[in-house]
Amino acid sequence: MRTPEVEVVELDAVPALGGLYARGVAGSARAAAARRRTVRPDDLPATELLVRGVRAEVEHLSTYQHLLGETGQDALPAGFVHVLAFPVATALMVRPGFPLPLLGMVHVANQVEQRRAVRLDEEMDLRVRAQDLHAHRSGVTVDLVAEAWVEEELVWTGTSTYLAKGHHLAPHSASTDPTPLPSPDNLVSEPQGALGTRGSDTRSEEGAGRAPTGQWRLGGEVGRRYAAVSGDQNPIHTSALAAKAFGFPRAIAHGMYTAARALADVGPARGEAFVWHVQFAKPVVLPSTVAVRVARADGEAEGFSFEAWSPRSGRTHLTGGVSPSS
Amino acid sequence: MTDTYLNLVNTGFTKTLAQRLGLPRPAVLRRHRPGDPLVTGPVLVVHDAGSQAEADALAEQLLGWDLDVHRHGNRDDRFGAILVVLTGAQAPADLGAPLLTTGGVLRGLAPGGRVVTVSRAPGDAAPAVAAARQGIDGVLRSLAKELRRGATGNGIVLGDGVEIDAPSVAGTLRFLLSGRSAFVDGQLLTIGSGAGELPADWERPLEGQVAVVTGAARGIGAEIARTLARDGATVVAVDVPAAGDALAAVANEVHGSALQLDVTREDAAERITEHVRSRHGQLDLVIHNAGILRDKLLANMKPETWDPVLAVNVTAPLRITQALLDGDQLGTAPRVVCLASTSGIAGNRGQTNYAASKAGVIGMVRASASALEGAGGTINAVAPGFIETDMTARIPFATREVARRLNSLQQGGQPRDVAEAIAFLVSPQAGGVNGQVLRVCGQNMVGQ
Amino acid sequence: MAAARTPGSQTSSGPTPGSTGAGGDGSSPRRAVVVGGNRIPFARSGGPYVRASNQDMLTAALDGLVARFGLAGERVGEVAAGAVLKHSKDFNLARESVLGSALSPETPAYDVQQACATGMETVVGLTNKIRLGQIESGIAGGVDSTSDAPIVVSDALRTILLDLSRAKTPQQKLKAVSRIRPGHLAPSAPTTGEPRTGLSMGEHQALTTAAMGITREAQDELAAASHHRLAAAYDDGFFDDLLTPYRGLTRDANLRADTSVEKLAKLKPVFGKHLETPATMTAGNSTPLSDGASTVLLASDAWAAERGLPVLATVVDVEAGAVDFAHGRDGLLMAGAHAVPRLLARNGLSLQDFDYYEIHEAFAATVLCNLAIWESEEYCRERLGLDGALGSIDRSKLNVHGSSLAAGHPFAATGGRIVATLAKQLTAKGPGSRGLISVCAAGGQAVVAILEAA
Repeated sequence: MRTPEVEVVELDAVPALGGLYARGVAGSARAAAARRRTVRPDDLPATELLVRGVRAEVEHLSTYQHLLGETGQDALPAGFVHVLAFPVATALMVRPGFPLPLLGMVHVANQVEQRRAVRLDEEMDLRVRAQDLHAHRSGVTVDLVAEAWVEEELVWTGTSTYLAKGHHLAPHSASTDPTPLPSPDNLVSEPQGALGTRGSDTRSEEGAGRAPTGQWRLGGEVGRRYAAVSGDQNPIHTSALAAKAFGFPRAIAHGMYTAARALADVGPARGEAFVWHVQFAKPVVLPSTVAVRVARADGEAEGFSFEAWSPRSGRTHLTGGVSPSS
Repeated sequence: MTDTYLNLVNTGFTKTLAQRLGLPRPAVLRRHRPGDPLVTGPVLVVHDAGSQAEADALAEQLLGWDLDVHRHGNRDDRFGAILVVLTGAQAPADLGAPLLTTGGVLRGLAPGGRVVTVSRAPGDAAPAVAAARQGIDGVLRSLAKELRRGATGNGIVLGDGVEIDAPSVAGTLRFLLSGRSAFVDGQLLTIGSGAGELPADWERPLEGQVAVVTGAARGIGAEIARTLARDGATVVAVDVPAAGDALAAVANEVHGSALQLDVTREDAAERITEHVRSRHGQLDLVIHNAGILRDKLLANMKPETWDPVLAVNVTAPLRITQALLDGDQLGTAPRVVCLASTSGIAGNRGQTNYAASKAGVIGMVRASASALEGAGGTINAVAPGFIETDMTARIPFATREVARRLNSLQQGGQPRDVAEAIAFLVSPQAGGVNGQVLRVCGQNMVGQ
Repeated sequence: MAAARTPGSQTSSGPTPGSTGAGGDGSSPRRAVVVGGNRIPFARSGGPYVRASNQDMLTAALDGLVARFGLAGERVGEVAAGAVLKHSKDFNLARESVLGSALSPETPAYDVQQACATGMETVVGLTNKIRLGQIESGIAGGVDSTSDAPIVVSDALRTILLDLSRAKTPQQKLKAVSRIRPGHLAPSAPTTGEPRTGLSMGEHQALTTAAMGITREAQDELAAASHHRLAAAYDDGFFDDLLTPYRGLTRDANLRADTSVEKLAKLKPVFGKHLETPATMTAGNSTPLSDGASTVLLASDAWAAERGLPVLATVVDVEAGAVDFAHGRDGLLMAGAHAVPRLLARNGLSLQDFDYYEIHEAFAATVLCNLAIWESEEYCRERLGLDGALGSIDRSKLNVHGSSLAAGHPFAATGGRIVATLAKQLTAKGPGSRGLISVCAAGGQAVVAILEAA
């Protein structure tokens, strides 16, 4: 993966997200001013950000565990490592030369492969790079790949796929096959879709034969609470007003919050080494009650699948699963 | 229920005021507390000419109880009790001397004092003898009405062939002298036989006995349970399931057991027997206290006000008693006491149903006496007068005030007064008292 | 006593746990017997017990038991009791209740909690102690109040208040206080929701009900029967020696003697409304939130004999079970169906070897789903690992004096109600008669037991 020509930029510490956002907004504005909407596959800088010696803080970990319904072990939940790496990924995206604007990027899918759980007292090196620009029917997607290394052991790899709406990938790219992603109805620039006028035709099909095994009662404060623990203070999660500005009726839940809830619902049966993958569909508007199904995989397949949807409209919020990794 | 008037006229300024105004001042009655002396002063024993031997025997008995016994009294003497022995009276004229002697010291009778006559039942005696004996009845009832300051007058009547040393003579005498009989006044109690025995411990005469008390959750029934337990009995407290919480409290208080049971159930006796059989092996004392009121003028009476009163108050005691007699759980000296009522003796407006049941109880007791005697036991009734209970508390104030004062003691009795009478009747020392109705009414003006 | 037996063996030729050890022959533990029980009538939430605390109600139930068996002032071996909804101040609920009761203050006590199986588990623990000879007598109990349920402050406020209590300087205190926001002040009451799934018990049962195809009619019939049977038992005086009135209540407040399938059919469904299948579970065929307490007196034969106390039934054997409901594999309240076959196997019994079945009516559908599982060849083979279906039971032997649908269900009090009721039935039925109890509980659990007439 990391080829010799990759430029490794080592940061002194995990950057603070507040400053990154300011730069991100400014960068997005510059990008908008430049109206450079076409990107080429090789536009991604061959840069890897590295932060050494990252350690989790016990209070931060506990807050995360309690919020997501994880048990209070000293093993870091896979979603918590994502939280630790998230500012580094953001720092990468606000660097000059990053071809896509931070503002308005939509998290459409996420995959984590955990070889083993990281312990609270372990120091991690976090490495983040961007790769794989793909054409998408609504824009261009990019994967932000974060790795957590303990000593010389790769223990955790997270791949977050973000969509930059309204951009196109230059056609002569070597990688033209659009990644099969679910309909990104949560495009912030397409409020009608977010409000549900589109996609209602999928309702009965999605709802058929889907029995919940649980439900999440998500209060209005869930966005702010996850924002506080994850540092992702994107106002569409914390402020109804800001959410309205982007076309949502109210604030929406963080995608990773719902993904991490699903992971917690699978519980200890997931083991320590697993692949946890999620595709995000309709955003969860807060407050709301979400129907959840967590089930053992059918037939020979091992692991669990999960799905979350609105019991009222039947529309899917996310689908995914956890399967043991060898 | 508190008798506010009684408290007012006996304490502080209001006492002085009541004295000045000449208001009736009912006394605070001398009631038994364990450890109290039997009487509050010396006992004077007087007798007619023909009763020397019996008087001596009784005086001996009193001395045995460590009492200060006098055989002669002067006007200035202060006595705690006066025992008038008239068993030998052969003619009305014989009564004069002892009674006048009694009258001479009556003013010196202590508060809570006692006058007890001992006589024989007229029965088939010769006319003059019978006249003398019956005359004593009139004397006693009248004398009791003269007494003040909580003093009472009662009589012991020896039945045919009953000797003066019969255990129940001493037993009854002790009961009448003691604070246990505080609200028994103007009554004559007949000793029918020499049965019974004196207890080893007068404070715990019921030691080792197992008692069933019906209607034990509240009021008089609860007090009966307490009193029997105090006297040493193991109490099985019975009441309807709906009163189970109060019943449990009583049972736990007396360290007995609770049996939730509607006594009108067909299998009531069976359930009682079963409870007692497994827990205690035998049943010695049965107190049919459960009773209900459904007052209505006969003109307005309906089956739903008539039938339950009869069912609870008399049919249930009849059926349970019979079943116990037929069964094998009764101890060797069983005692049964039923709750009658002065309404059953004198009648009461609006209580035809209640009076029928309570008079019925009296009939039942008299008719059952021989069967119980055959079983080595006794059956008696206690007829309470106006007793301060939850039930009487519901009577309108004016009516209650009048009812309360309509007796020689000018006050209502306490549930414990009834309980004391019952505890006495079920005691071993009352074995010679059978088929009797003992009124606990402060000598109520109505009836006998 | 079943230690040497192979788990799951279907045909046991050895002696059954219950039929041995009565005399304590030295090789096997002696038996533990049910002497009797007492409970207070169960009230509906917000009813006559609205101001009664768990301790109040448990003490009342204890006092009634003490009175029934003449134990005032006696030192009982141990009292075990618990509540599901519990205030933190009630950490010593059982002991505090003993101290307020007529029992000797020298009676020790401990708290137990296993959700709705709490009452059963107190019986299990004390029974085992009696069998081992550690105690001669014990009182098992349970209580719950949904009227006096603990209300706690929000997690956020709680964190701030705890920080405040640890703050030393005025500055630290001010800083802590300044973090309080109006939104923090909303209290949070306990819910019947499963922590791991967020679904209420009713919603969980609705899933199982739908999956097993239990009809509305079948549920309403079971509910009506429960009411009619409980009412008949009251009228017969069956509860005269099982119950002590409290706060003016002499019968279970939820009991509707005049209900009928027709009346129940008119109620609107309350659970399973967002499922693909029609919703069938109503307030009528689900237990209401209730307040109440129950107790059971357990003893060795010798202790009971010394006091001339009746011996109603032997607690033969018990089994706890749990299912994986969080992953949708099994119904939340189906653990009893899973535990019973293990219990049967250990005791060499078949499902039909019982005179009475007491299956806690958390919901009418809970009972019906349990029965359906035992009747299902497929389920019994695939999920329970049996050779075939356990088969059906004679419904006339099921919950013969009514159950929780009629009586109500103060969570921890239900076990004691059932044990005492069944023990009395068995005595009436006669020696050798046998009863099976299954009480399901939150968290996908259940405790099942076999009682035999003593």
